[in-house]
Amino acid sequence: MTLPVWRTEWLTALRRRRLLALNTLVPLTLVATVALSPAPAVHAAAVFTVLFALFGTFGSSIPLIRDGESGLLRRYVLTGVHPGGLLLQRVFAAAALDVVELAPSVLVIVVARGSSASQFVMVVPALILGLLAANALGAITAALAKSVAEGALFSAMAALLMLHWAGTFRSPVPGTWQASLEAWNPFRPLHESLLAAAGAGGPDFAPALFTLPLGVTLAALLLITAAGRYTIGLGGR
Amino acid sequence: MFEATELSFTYPSGRRGLGSVSLRGEPGDRVVVMGPNGSGKSTLLRLVSTELRSRPGSLKLFGEPCEPLSRDLRRRIGIVQDTPVHVDELTGMENGLLFAELYGLLRADAAGALETLFTSLGLDDALDVPTREYSYGMKKKLLIAEALVHEPELLILDEPALGLDPPSRAALLRILEERSGKGVCMLAATNDPALAQELATTVVLLHEGEVVAHGSPAELLAQVGGATRIEVYVAGPPPVGPAPVGLTPGDPTAASRTSVGPTTTLPALAGLPAEIVSIQQLPGRIIAESESGADVLPQLVGAILAAGLKIERITIREPDLTDVFTLFTGLALGTEKENA
Repeated sequence: MTLPVWRTEWLTALRRRRLLALNTLVPLTLVATVALSPAPAVHAAAVFTVLFALFGTFGSSIPLIRDGESGLLRRYVLTGVHPGGLLLQRVFAAAALDVVELAPSVLVIVVARGSSASQFVMVVPALILGLLAANALGAITAALAKSVAEGALFSAMAALLMLHWAGTFRSPVPGTWQASLEAWNPFRPLHESLLAAAGAGGPDFAPALFTLPLGVTLAALLLITAAGRYTIGLGGR
Repeated sequence: MFEATELSFTYPSGRRGLGSVSLRGEPGDRVVVMGPNGSGKSTLLRLVSTELRSRPGSLKLFGEPCEPLSRDLRRRIGIVQDTPVHVDELTGMENGLLFAELYGLLRADAAGALETLFTSLGLDDALDVPTREYSYGMKKKLLIAEALVHEPELLILDEPALGLDPPSRAALLRILEERSGKGVCMLAATNDPALAQELATTVVLLHEGEVVAHGSPAELLAQVGGATRIEVYVAGPPPVGPAPVGLTPGDPTAASRTSVGPTTTLPALAGLPAEIVSIQQLPGRIIAESESGADVLPQLVGAILAAGLKIERITIREPDLTDVFTLFTGLALGTEKENA
């Protein structure tokens, strides 16, 4: 099986060296500043989680809208390629690139905050899952937007709402409906793991934390695949 | 190969893109659509390429209805859009391979076919150059190569020669004729009358979303006759009175019917040679049709100068498909460049 769109995304990213460097260095600057400061773990983790989630959502949404406006997606689809498959390749490639670009930032958090090995091990899958979910969310917001400006607005709103429902901005209250909702949220493992790594302590690697969010993320990806022709639809944007 | 029945389309803004157009193309046919900007050419091509859906109306491709749309049908079509869009960071060859793979080809098979096409189109020097450094014409050639690489049975071409230099244009025509000989059907849109006459087996003239005439180039040109057009661009007092008129030399009323102003009538026109079969006067321009080519030019120029007009430019040309369009609509069909 060939994955031409996946390969194109990687080639494109590697050739935009300035953008690749900025995508690595800019988040690293913010993360290092906060991680090396005496900011409480709860605040630091919120900053890291918001940064990573927005990074993924915008990174997926804006290029999709831009390529839709230029006519490139239309060209792709008119070759007979499955629109859902095309979108999946883009979402996975963008998420993988985000992981690579944010890896130095995660290392800085772990080192600066003196995280344990098990806490670091938990951050890695949580980051991958969170970025995959963020990129899927970006693809969905791109489908609703009719311009880059709308895409930015929708992405920010959707990501911040999801982060709120993940419990990023409040203390968890066990037993409430919000706590039940949190258990399904794909950004929750990211927040929990970053909270632990930032110094709040917390559980070592907990696979159970990932089960429901993984299911939600897979469902979102399935939705994108099934609705691909509407997401980057013909005659639409 | 394709059979469009009463295709129509209205854009979300309410603007009618296409009225009710029916046309068909068989293997080896080269159907060329001409019309001014906004006449529905590109909309028609987008409908036949399955990008847009006609409601009402129906489309069959390769004998199969397009509702519901099978993605396999799309793989049998090659499309050259009017605006070439590529992945700018990739080289020409990488872009070509990307689209070849999307069409379902293996990279190894596609590479050879692309090299041949690049050489034919004169793009072989730019294989490894990122397309962001390509000129418009180079991008257009790459787009043509990408549309041909998978050996499509139906080719849809929107202004395929726009931006190409003469050698590339000639190469494109050679390639298209060769593919046509192998049974490939083509549906093209252009406002280039020379290209249409060279390429088309059938010409369709569109105006405001409707077909105003269709037929082979020879059939259509026969309707405007074979007289040479001599267009004299003049400066002088603007014409007054009724709309431009045609007249027959020797007609005793000629002078009064070609009045260009109370003090600048063209009395000498009445005495022009009989080979000038008609004269039409438009603002700033006098168009004469001559059955003896440019032989009548001295007499015509003399008459115009005698009328006190200053001649700025003269063009002499044989009738083409733009004259056919004018015959049916009363409007001039400029090239895309002129219309833009």
